Amino acid sequence: MTYQDYTHDMQRCTRCSYCKWIPYRYMKSTDFMEGCPSLARYNWHAYSASGKFNIAYSLLKDRIEIDETFLDVLYHCQMDGSCDVSCKVQQDLEPLQLMQELRIKCVEEGQLLPVHMLVIEGLRKEDNMMQALKADRGKWTEGLNTKDLSSESAEVVYHAGCRYSYDEELKSIARAGLTLLRDAGVDIGIMGTEEACCGGRAYELGYAGELTKYAEHQIETLRTAGVKTLVTPCADCYAAFKVLYDKIDKKPEMEVFHITQYIHRLIEEGKIRFTREVPVTVTYHDPCHLGRLGEPWIHWQGKETKAMGPMIIHDPPKKFRRGANGVYETPRDILKAIPGLRFIEMYRIKEYTWCCGAGGGVIDTHPDFAVWTGAERLKEAHAVGAEAIVSACGWCKRNFLDAAAESDDDIEVYDIIELVQKAM
Amino acid sequence: MKLAEEEYKALQNIVGSEYITREPVILDTYNQVWGNAFFFDEKHSVRPAAVLLPVNTAEISEIVKVCNKYGILFKPFSSGFEYLSLSLANTRGILLDLKRMNQILEIDAKNMRAVVEPYVSVYRLQMEAAKHGLYTGRIGVGYSAGVIAAECCHHGCQHTMVFTSGYGRNTLGVEWVLPTGEILNMGSGESGDLFSADGPGFSLRGILRGRTGANGGHGVVTKASVKLYPWYGPTQWEQTKKPGEPPSFGQLEKVPDGYKVFVPSFADLDTTLEASEELCRAEILCAFGIGIIGTAQIQEGNDEEWAAMQKARQSFDPAGGISVANSVVCVIGGQSAGELEYKEKCMRAITEKWDGSFSEQFNESRALARAFADIMWSNGVNLRATGDFLPSSSSPDGSPAMLKNLALKEGEVKKRYEESGAFLSMGGGRMVSWRPEEHLSIGAQGISTAQYDPYDPASLAAAREFIDELFDPKSPFKRYGVPSRGGCLQIEPVTHIHQNWGPLYDNYDVYLRKIKRMLDPNTVADWTAYIPPEYPDYAKDGDYVLPSYGKEEDI
Repeated sequence: MTYQDYTHDMQRCTRCSYCKWIPYRYMKSTDFMEGCPSLARYNWHAYSASGKFNIAYSLLKDRIEIDETFLDVLYHCQMDGSCDVSCKVQQDLEPLQLMQELRIKCVEEGQLLPVHMLVIEGLRKEDNMMQALKADRGKWTEGLNTKDLSSESAEVVYHAGCRYSYDEELKSIARAGLTLLRDAGVDIGIMGTEEACCGGRAYELGYAGELTKYAEHQIETLRTAGVKTLVTPCADCYAAFKVLYDKIDKKPEMEVFHITQYIHRLIEEGKIRFTREVPVTVTYHDPCHLGRLGEPWIHWQGKETKAMGPMIIHDPPKKFRRGANGVYETPRDILKAIPGLRFIEMYRIKEYTWCCGAGGGVIDTHPDFAVWTGAERLKEAHAVGAEAIVSACGWCKRNFLDAAAESDDDIEVYDIIELVQKAM
Repeated sequence: MKLAEEEYKALQNIVGSEYITREPVILDTYNQVWGNAFFFDEKHSVRPAAVLLPVNTAEISEIVKVCNKYGILFKPFSSGFEYLSLSLANTRGILLDLKRMNQILEIDAKNMRAVVEPYVSVYRLQMEAAKHGLYTGRIGVGYSAGVIAAECCHHGCQHTMVFTSGYGRNTLGVEWVLPTGEILNMGSGESGDLFSADGPGFSLRGILRGRTGANGGHGVVTKASVKLYPWYGPTQWEQTKKPGEPPSFGQLEKVPDGYKVFVPSFADLDTTLEASEELCRAEILCAFGIGIIGTAQIQEGNDEEWAAMQKARQSFDPAGGISVANSVVCVIGGQSAGELEYKEKCMRAITEKWDGSFSEQFNESRALARAFADIMWSNGVNLRATGDFLPSSSSPDGSPAMLKNLALKEGEVKKRYEESGAFLSMGGGRMVSWRPEEHLSIGAQGISTAQYDPYDPASLAAAREFIDELFDPKSPFKRYGVPSRGGCLQIEPVTHIHQNWGPLYDNYDVYLRKIKRMLDPNTVADWTAYIPPEYPDYAKDGDYVLPSYGKEEDI
C-alpha cells in the first residue's frame, strides 16, 4: 500500500472531528472526553487524524510539500489508534493506516528527523532501539540460570524486548516475568544476545524495511531454535509479532502470547496461585499495542462497489479492524483475582483508552509531549481514586514513571508482573 | 493571497506566535469539509491567509479591529463541521479556530440556564447539565458540535425541539464581538448575568441570528447564556457493549428511569401525519421523531449494514403493514410515576384513535433504549453510507398543513432520484420528517436527507439538480418563509436563494443586506454562509451555478 491508496479516505473525511474524542457512547466524564493527545496538546486541526487526511490530500494534489511543519505534525503523534477507533464508529476509513503510509513515504524520500536517524542507526548496528550494545542484551538475566535458546532448546521463548532488556528500572520486571513462568513449570528460555528488536517501533517511525528485516530474522532464528511459542511482556513486541508481521505476510509459525495471556492460562490451570494480599487501590491502563493495536490483522483483497444506489460497499465484504478484539479482559481478570486488590476503572479504557504517551517514537523525538500525555493519564487515575496505576508494557511504565517524576506525582506505577509477583 | 508582513505581525502581537499560523501544511487543514465538492467542485475551498487560536473575547475584539484596519476577512468557528463552515469569499481571509475557548462558565440550576464558551459541545453540556437535573436539546450533527454554533450562529432542527424549542429561541444573552470589533453584551442587565435576550438591554436576538443564523457573517459570539430544560433521568449513564462487539454496538440497557419511549405505527402516511399532529399538540412529549426512528442496531460498517438490510428485506412481510415511514418515536418523561402514567395514557389514547399499533420489533426494550439515545443525545451523524448528504428541505417553522404538503410532494421528487440510483434508497418511501417546535404551537420544521456520493459525478450532478428542483420558487411546494438547506445554511453561493426568494417574501433580502452593511461597514465578516452586502453573481432563477468566489485559486 501507499498513501495514495487512501485517496478515497482523504476525500471522504468530513471533518466531523469525532477522531478528536472518544466515542460519545463511552464518555463518562466531561474532564476526560478527549481521545487524541496530539490535538489536545497542540490544538491545530492538522494534528488530528482528520488533519492528517487533509495534509495527505493536499500533498496528493501538489498543494503542499513535505517540509518541517509537515514532519512536526506527522511525528507529534503516538500512532496510538484512538482516532482510528473513534473514526470507525462512524466511517469506513483508515486514518491510522494512512498515517503509517505517510511516515513510510517520508522515510523513503529521506525526510527524516535527526533523533530517528540516531535511533535507527543504533538499531541497525546493535539490533535494539535503546542505543545500547547488543552484547549487553541478555544481561538482565544474570544469575537466573536461564536456558539460552541459541544453544539449548525449550518449548517457549521469552522475548523481553528492547525496553525491558536495557532500562535499568525495568530489568527486574523482565526477570520477575521470566521467573514466575519458569516457576510455574513452563519450559522456557531466552535468545540472550541473539534476541533482536522486533522492528515494530521502527516501522511506526516509517522504516518499513526494518520491520521486514527483523521479522525475517525472528522467524529464522526462532525456527532454528525449535520454538513453538513466544511470550513477551512488552505490548509493542506483542503487536509486532502478532499483528505487524502478519500484515506484511511474515506471520511466524508459532503461537504468540503477551505475558498476561500466558499468566492467565497458568492461573486457570492452577499453576499460578495467588496467596498474598496486595492491599492497593489500582487502576489499569490499557497499552495501545496490547489493546486496539493488538487486534489481529485482517487481510482483504477486493474492490469497492455500490449498493442501494450510491452506498459504498465492498466485494467481498471487508472487515475493518475497529479495536474491539484487542486484549482487554485478560489483564483485568488477573488483577481482579489478586487478593486484597481493589480494582477501579478509569473513564477512558479498552478501545478508547488514552495513550501513555510513549508510542510512535514520541518518547524519543518529543519527550516533553510524551511526559505531558502521561501526566494527563495520571490525572485521570487520580480522578477515579486510584493509588496506583498498572500497565502491561515497559514503554507505558517508563513513561508514567517519567511523567510522575516530572509532575511531582506520588502515584505508584506498576507493571502487572510486579503485582502478580507480589501476590504469589 | 498572503497577508502583508505588517498585517500578520499585527495579528501575531495579539495572540502570540504560538497561536497563529501561516504554514501551508496547517492552513490546508482548514479548508476541507464535507459539502465542498457540492459547492466548489473541489474538496478544498479557499485557503485562509492565516488561522488563529484566540483564547478570550479581548483578543478576538483586537483581531477584528485589525481586520477592519487592513480590510481582512475573518470567520470564526467552533468544531467547523458544517457546510461552508470554513469557506471564505477570498484568500485575504483568516479563520478564528475557537478551540481554546472551551469552558462551561456557569450552570445556574435555579434559573435553568448555562453560560458557555464557543467550543463547548452540546453533548458535553448535556452531560454536565444532567448532574443538575437539567437538559439542553439535541443537535443533529453529533457530539463535536458547539452549543453557541447551534443556538446563536447557525440553524438546525432536531427531534427534541418539541420540548426544548428551536435553538435560536433558547438564547438568553450573549457576549458578542461585532464586525467592527466592539463588544456588545445583549440580554444583560446591571447585574451583567446574561439572562434575557428580550431585555432589559437590547433585544437583538432576531438580528443576531435572523432566521437561519449568520454563520459568522455577523462577528463572533464569545459567550452565550442558554436555556436549560428539565432532565428526568439519572445524573450519569453508561452505554455498554459486550467484549468483542464493535464500538458502535454500545447502548443503554434500557430507557432511563424517568422516561418512557413508544413507537406507534400507523396505516398510511396521511394517518401518520394526522396522529403526529395530535401527539405533538398534547404537550406530553420530550422528543418526537417521524420517519426516522433509531430503534435498529447501528451496524459496524457499510458492508454489515448492507447485509442487515438484505436480511431484513428477506424477512419483510408487506402484508404486515408496519413501516419505518409510518412509525413515530414518542419520548415522554416526568418527575413522578403519576406524571409518566398520565402522559402514557394520552399517548395511547391518541394512538388508538388513529388505529395505530405497537409492533414488537420497534417496541422491544433494547430497541427503545437505542431510540432514546439516538433521539435525545447528540450522537454521530451518519455520513458513512455515501459520503455526504443533503438535508434537503428544512422549511422553516411551517404550519402542519404546509408540512404535510411538503412531505408528500418532496417525497415523490426524492423517490425519483432514488429510483435513478443517484441517491441512497432505503426502500419504504422515507418522507420528509418533522421536527415540531414547542408542541407544534409554532409549527414544525421538515427535513429529509438525500444521501449522495460527492465523488461520483452522476450522483453529484443529481444532487445539484435535486436542489435546483426543490428550491425553484415556481415549484409546487409552496413553502412559507425563507428556504434554507445545507444543515439549513443559506446556499446563497450556489442557487441564489436570496435573489430568487426575496421578491416573493417582502423583499426580506433587502433588509438582510441592510443589516449586514450596518453591522459590518467594512465587510470584514465573511458572508459566504450568510448574505453578501451586494450580490456578486447574477441570479439565474434557481439554476445551479458554481460561485465565482469562495473557490480556491491556483496554489
